[in-house]
Amino acid sequence: MSTARPAHPQVMQPSRPGPTRTAPPMRPARMPLRGPYLTHSLFGATGLIYLLLGLLALEIVWALGSGEEAWNRVRENFQHPLYIGFHTLAFASILFVGVRFFRLFPPAQPPRIGPAKPPPPGVLMAMLYAAWIGVAGVLALILAGRIF
Amino acid sequence: MGDVRNKTFVVTRFDPDRDEAPRTQRYQVPVQPDWKVLDALNYIKDEIDGTLSHRWSCRMAVCGSCGMSVNGEPRLTCKDALDQYGDTVEIGPLANFPVIRDLVIEMEGFLEKLKSVKPWIIRAKEKAVEEGPLNQSPEQLEEFRKFSMCINCMLCYAACPVVANEPDFLGPAAIALGHRYNLDSRDEGAAERNEIFRGEGTVFSCSYANECTEVCPKHVEPAAAVNQAKLNVLIDWAKGLVLPRGGAQ
Repeated sequence: MSTARPAHPQVMQPSRPGPTRTAPPMRPARMPLRGPYLTHSLFGATGLIYLLLGLLALEIVWALGSGEEAWNRVRENFQHPLYIGFHTLAFASILFVGVRFFRLFPPAQPPRIGPAKPPPPGVLMAMLYAAWIGVAGVLALILAGRIF
Repeated sequence: MGDVRNKTFVVTRFDPDRDEAPRTQRYQVPVQPDWKVLDALNYIKDEIDGTLSHRWSCRMAVCGSCGMSVNGEPRLTCKDALDQYGDTVEIGPLANFPVIRDLVIEMEGFLEKLKSVKPWIIRAKEKAVEEGPLNQSPEQLEEFRKFSMCINCMLCYAACPVVANEPDFLGPAAIALGHRYNLDSRDEGAAERNEIFRGEGTVFSCSYANECTEVCPKHVEPAAAVNQAKLNVLIDWAKGLVLPRGGAQ
């Protein structure tokens, strides 16, 4: 199609060229940012957010080891609109990846794991969401100082 | 019967003897209300331009020959109703495949990938004919039936973002077919196929975009097969670590 870009030139080529010249393969027309490919590309892009989150976690650990003043400075920085914006984006990314993963998880289950059959897709999804909410709740209680 | 409606078809053309690169050509076609995309292509071929080349055979979504790109989406044209499209319909060859001519793609590379997963029943020791057939219960059949419905239409390859970038990727249909035999109760070749699946450009290259499943006209769910195969390969690998003679069955 007119809007498609070339795919890798070796894509789906036979090991030995055929008798006639062929036109090179084109990528799917809507790849990477239109139609269904947008979700997949966004999923890949969230990797950058997790990289930044990892760096932020390292900074927090570093501040914890550097004394109370450094720790308080990190906490003050969290009030900055940029940090709040980033955390909002990170939260949205985690929700997006979680929901996408939970939707794709049930079909990826084999018909049997040993002698046992996996639970039905609905039950599996409910278990995943329950575990997610449960773990998030426990973490929230720990961070709020209610437990431990 | 409703009214005949004129539609414009923008069809990709490529003549390897004359064209440097694919180009498009427009055709006006009087479309009947119950027509599929393939009917319009056959009308162009029969009534307007006999030089147009396209593959088709059964016209009932069984042979898998007529896969093409319709408005940028991979579709089985004999199954794809025209009334869902507007006045202009773009038809091109399947994406991710070299083009031999017009709408005809080079499928030899696909057939090589298909063969590489050993899509046949492998037995450690062949059963003699006198011993009777290899029986299979309906429950055992149900474990892989979905994955055996593939008609090799290659729409999944045309939709896959990994195929577009990784020439060595085995791709959805080939992996689904290999997995189908791994699940078959009569087969004893899972270890051989898992060895293939452990290699470069196989199951772990899949990023689970799920596009193959979305476009599959036979509801094979190749993405599920690929990701089930990942788990099986991991289990096989882990068994190999803890069991003295490897985990392969």
